[in-house]
Amino acid sequence: MPSNPLPLNSCRSGGCTLTGALSVTTSVRDSVSVIHGPAGCAHHNFSLLHATGLDNDHVAALNLISSGMQDMEVIFGGEDALGAAIRSAIRQDVSVVYVLSTCIVETIGDDVAAVCGRDWGVPVVRVPTAGFLGGSFQTGVSNALTAIAGTMPGRVLPKDPHIVNIIGEKNLEYEVEENYREVARLLALLGLTINVRFVHCTGINELAGLGEASLNILRDDEMQPVGDLLYRKYRIPSIPSFPVGLSGSLDFLKVTGDLAGIDPAPAISDEKDRQDSLLDGFSGTAGSMLRFSLTAPDLPANRAISEVIARLDLKVGKDGARVPMPPSPPVGTEGVRRMLHRWRRALNAGM
Amino acid sequence: MMKQIALYGKGGIGKSTTSANLSAALSLQGCDVLQIGCDPKRDSTRMLMHGNFIPTVMDLVRERGDAQLKKEDVVHTGFHGIRCVEAGGPEPGVGCAGRGIIATFQLLEKFGALSGDVIVYDVLGDVVCGGFAMPMREGYAQEIYLVTSGELMSLYAANNICKAIKRLSSRVKSTCRLAGVICNAKDMPREEELVAEFARRVNSTLVQYIPRDRIVQLAELNKQTVIEFAPDSPQAGKYRALAAAVVKNNSLTIPAPLEIDALESLALEFM
Repeated sequence: MPSNPLPLNSCRSGGCTLTGALSVTTSVRDSVSVIHGPAGCAHHNFSLLHATGLDNDHVAALNLISSGMQDMEVIFGGEDALGAAIRSAIRQDVSVVYVLSTCIVETIGDDVAAVCGRDWGVPVVRVPTAGFLGGSFQTGVSNALTAIAGTMPGRVLPKDPHIVNIIGEKNLEYEVEENYREVARLLALLGLTINVRFVHCTGINELAGLGEASLNILRDDEMQPVGDLLYRKYRIPSIPSFPVGLSGSLDFLKVTGDLAGIDPAPAISDEKDRQDSLLDGFSGTAGSMLRFSLTAPDLPANRAISEVIARLDLKVGKDGARVPMPPSPPVGTEGVRRMLHRWRRALNAGM
Repeated sequence: MMKQIALYGKGGIGKSTTSANLSAALSLQGCDVLQIGCDPKRDSTRMLMHGNFIPTVMDLVRERGDAQLKKEDVVHTGFHGIRCVEAGGPEPGVGCAGRGIIATFQLLEKFGALSGDVIVYDVLGDVVCGGFAMPMREGYAQEIYLVTSGELMSLYAANNICKAIKRLSSRVKSTCRLAGVICNAKDMPREEELVAEFARRVNSTLVQYIPRDRIVQLAELNKQTVIEFAPDSPQAGKYRALAAAVVKNNSLTIPAPLEIDALESLALEFM
């Protein structure tokens, strides 16, 4: 039985496994996600995913079906309702059906795996969720990626030593696309290209090529279990996190180049020049005093922000202009650039 | 004033037999009786219905939907005009039987079916979840009777139910109290003494000792209660005495459940 796995302040980062898993499965094109539970669970998640998509300038075409459990399904068991929902999903002529369960389903003990295990004619993949009983939002993300990886073909030879996968993008985070583009830019400096985004608006056929890459780039250390799984399955090593901040970006180039067998020195040199140019552009802020609206989201963010403050000769004090703390660590040099633009706007506005 | 009583106890201890005979005796004493079986096994009222399994509330809701149901669909008249209801529930191993009990109560409330002089709730073996505590909640049974033999596991279950009553009775609106202990005997030596002492130690009393008698099995094989099948038998007299005790009983207590060590020591004293 899980104890409460959520952080104390769960308003933004918390949530249940169902939402976390849906943030992954709804990003697989040609698929439908069946939520086994009351209609309200689907409604709330649809609303959340849709609103978050709009916030990121992305109109999400969410393909969700609820098994619509009501009192009778709770009392007599909801496996028949789940079967009906899966049949309805299959009629949409999709390539794969993902089945996610809610708290009440786990409470009454429906055997979701057995229903999914029937011969449906198309892959019907159970994603372990069980609402809050299954853990936290992040557990749902990991479970969904693990379940999807489990349906992929086994070990294959890398097609190209210069292609890499992106693993576990935070599909609901602000700037998800900007962060992706920055990682792609840095990888391009090393001559690496991206194979599969596992999973972000990815088609089922693209996913089948997951094992063809020579390296996996994990979104952050919470993705390590998925990285380990992919290593066991495909023998693909992984980089543990997207680059955070200025020196973090240079470290990323070095570690990734070393692991890919590419001399990273030219890429690091180019990126250093870019970073110097970036800081020159913000040199007018030197000596300004700042204060932050929030604390740093984690240690890497703290380091990245401290480094920028030191290099621009900024000061932090309670009388400083209030500047926004990024909700997640700034990814790459360009993440720092966007952060500094926001700071400068706040400084200029004298907030 | 309507009296609402619930019989709780270990599975197989004889709650349904006791409930049916109690209802029959109460009815013959002039009471308008409603018996509600709160167990997916749905056999609480079978002897009152001369061996027939009546359709359960949950089966009817599942087949027809609750909007189509009427009171007369779920309330069936048995021996001596006793109104019988079976809550029913899912097949073993699926769904949530406790939720079925709650849904049944909601429907009976909607129908205004909870009426009469006495309502007897016959509840599944133990308080396994909140659903099976439903009869103890406010607005339903105020008087809880524990049915037990002198066997340790039966006393253990009865003691557990004391814990549930104690917990529920602490709620502000709760009127649920322990009304007494019924000994449905297994013919153990000093069994009546043991159960009486158990009752005393949990802050209650033994309201009736019901000896083991094969007339009970004989009556059931003839699909009747003992009260109907052998009204002149000594066993029928015991059930009538129980009914009389229940009617006049106004000794309602908040139980003091025993620790397991104390319960085992008690059982040892009477070995």
